Amino acid sequence: MTKRILCDVPMNRVEGDLEVRIEVKDGRVADAWSAGTLYRGFENLMRGRGALDGLVMTPRICGICSTTHLTAAARALDAIAGLTPPDNALRVRNVALMAEHAQSDVRQSVLMFMADFANAAHGGEPLFDEAVRRYRPGAGSSAVETLSATRSLLEVVGILGGQWPHSSFMVPGGVAFAPSSSSVLQCLHLVRGYRAWYERFVLGCSLERWAAVDSRAALDAWLDEAPAQRDGEVGFLLRFGRAIGLDAVGRGHEAFLSYGSFDLPAQTAVAAPNGQLVAAGAAQGTMVAPFDPARIAEDVSHAWYRESASRHPAQGATDPYASAHTGRAYSWVKAPRYDGRAMETGPLAEAVIGGRPLFADIVAAGETSALARQLARLVRPATLFPAMETWLEELLANPGAPIVAGDGRQVPDGEGAGLLQAARGALGHWVRIEDGRIARYQVITPTAWNGSPRDAQGVRGAWEEAVVGTHVADPAHPIEAGYVVRSFDPCLVCAVH
Amino acid sequence: MTTRLYWMQSGGCGGDTMAFLGAAQPDVPTLLRTLGIELLWHPSLSNLSPPQHAALLESLQEGETPLDVLVVEGAVVRGPGGTGMFDARGGRPRRDVVAALARRAHFVVALGTCASFGGFGVGGEIDATGLQFTRFDPGGLLGADFRSGAGLPVLNLAGCPCHHEVLGGVLAALLAGIEPRLDEFQRPLEWYGMTVHQGCTRNEYHEYRVEEEAFGDKGCLFFHMGCHGPLASGPCNKSLWNGRSSKTRAGVPCFGCTGPDFPPAYPFFYTRNIEGIPLALPKGVNRAHYMAYKVMAAAAAPQRLKNRDTEV
Repeated sequence: MTKRILCDVPMNRVEGDLEVRIEVKDGRVADAWSAGTLYRGFENLMRGRGALDGLVMTPRICGICSTTHLTAAARALDAIAGLTPPDNALRVRNVALMAEHAQSDVRQSVLMFMADFANAAHGGEPLFDEAVRRYRPGAGSSAVETLSATRSLLEVVGILGGQWPHSSFMVPGGVAFAPSSSSVLQCLHLVRGYRAWYERFVLGCSLERWAAVDSRAALDAWLDEAPAQRDGEVGFLLRFGRAIGLDAVGRGHEAFLSYGSFDLPAQTAVAAPNGQLVAAGAAQGTMVAPFDPARIAEDVSHAWYRESASRHPAQGATDPYASAHTGRAYSWVKAPRYDGRAMETGPLAEAVIGGRPLFADIVAAGETSALARQLARLVRPATLFPAMETWLEELLANPGAPIVAGDGRQVPDGEGAGLLQAARGALGHWVRIEDGRIARYQVITPTAWNGSPRDAQGVRGAWEEAVVGTHVADPAHPIEAGYVVRSFDPCLVCAVH
Repeated sequence: MTTRLYWMQSGGCGGDTMAFLGAAQPDVPTLLRTLGIELLWHPSLSNLSPPQHAALLESLQEGETPLDVLVVEGAVVRGPGGTGMFDARGGRPRRDVVAALARRAHFVVALGTCASFGGFGVGGEIDATGLQFTRFDPGGLLGADFRSGAGLPVLNLAGCPCHHEVLGGVLAALLAGIEPRLDEFQRPLEWYGMTVHQGCTRNEYHEYRVEEEAFGDKGCLFFHMGCHGPLASGPCNKSLWNGRSSKTRAGVPCFGCTGPDFPPAYPFFYTRNIEGIPLALPKGVNRAHYMAYKVMAAAAAPQRLKNRDTEV
């Protein structure tokens, strides 16, 4: 008789409260349930508040991506007020947001994902001693270096926005502060310093060399090319990750979503199609279709909310309800769906939708995996630095140009949405203002997409699906399943807002 | 001698951890090493397996492993209906675990406004409270009479988030045997015995009542833009954020996030006023005297300030 075991996946080192339960059968995960175990009630706290209060309240949804929530809140108010931020405001917003992304990607990789490489469960691996030297929490060489370098990069947000985390320097129509030339030069110094560290420490090669890695074969060749590339964080991720089989687990639905991000200023040397540096789209495998926000709906059939049909977030409600009679429900996270489909979002989704050759090749070959997802995250900053530097240089070249359009303090009644890509993927704020007050505020976070429970059709959320099939050596400590979930960079404080 | 520290995150955003990791003088690994602190558990930094963590928690609650410092980040969640199950840990309300640990701890630190006073969610669905206060009211989860093993009340390191230098400073003081002097809300005076206004680079605008009325202007943010700086306690303009700046220096009003009533019910970015005079005046001023002074000050304002002929 086959033995079925229910067990909990080790899910510390995520932001917030996540419990993932799996059923193991014949040494493999047969089924999975992901539960957000904290409800914070942010959406309902917003109702009746001042029209601009999303700028102060919503960054506090998340300590790790507060600038992203601020951007979504500001974009929703831009839309309601009909204001287009001037070029310098877009540059300031984009650079601050990119700084937040570029630190988050490396911190999550080194401090949260690769920290498990130093777990005693891998004691038999030839690379284990090196993994301990690098990733031992709080003391490993990579952990300490990463903390130091990422902290410096966040000073960019400190300069442009006054503090990180939890500033409110983006306002309807622009930003609240025109940085002086010396401030911009300090930012440029910090970004260039971080980029140089990233090239040396994370990639082990220049951005240009990395950009030439355009296929699976090119990746293997790159890894064998030079000791610095093997020994960098990317090289070690690949070597250790392959040794423990992370390239063979975590495939998932292979349905990808990006809202698009980083609006280009009207006048800029940064080139990208459709006016955004990161492309919007929805893809099944590598088949990319245009993104249509009207196709989003939230399902609450398996979440602890009062039963209702799926609704678009502009009509959404948050009505928490749990009782012994709601046996189907198991999470405070709602289940967003796109065209009725469960989607994954994040750096891998961006890379596939943006047509980055290496990741398009991996996905087209059916090799979507926890390792591919993590690799996409760790190398994403490489795609941000050139635009960051360009936009800072353009700020220097345009001193005194406007930073805000119109009177951002007078937002009229109306409805609007702020959609963009957070470090973890697609983030949206849907806002309705009535009589100068917030009448509705609905938020769908990346982790709501990735970590959603089942929907009314019984379709699992993205990481629930991805974890199915994972080989588990020790059901008492199913670390392999943990890697699969962690490759989505879970942020539960966001998801359970 | 090793100091054992357990870090609990409850109903919060993790922002106090993120801010703390921004400390540079010294940075967090150096701070822990030089103070001899063993981080028994931090939800973002530790890699104990769930059974190991469960055993540790059990041992701490039973008093088998001594707990020198308990740091709590995030609000205590009491809803729905008093069950605490909006924040559950392994099917048990987390607030019960927090209370059990607090009774064993030598020092108890509430990190951030949510853990100190309840912050977001006080009076809301989650019925949040702080460890020893609910907003201005003493009590909270542990009760007004609670004293930790060292005989101290909960140390409220308020702020949303708490400024990155405060926790390290408080830990260093405690381990040096220095008992912190506290204000009426149990915030250490060393970091909260000053206003955010003190050190603000816009002080001269305030002095002569030269006001900012639209985003991106130069001027004082107090009179129209909803700045709480002259009322709020905190080191933000004494010890700069991320070593670089502060919200008020970057044109963003202080929102008074260290106060027991944060977030207030009234809208941000507007100064509540009577006939153009702010309803809430700087800490401790006499209303009549302040108004007379401001009329005269505005008349005495130098042209260079009125013209914003300055780089701040």
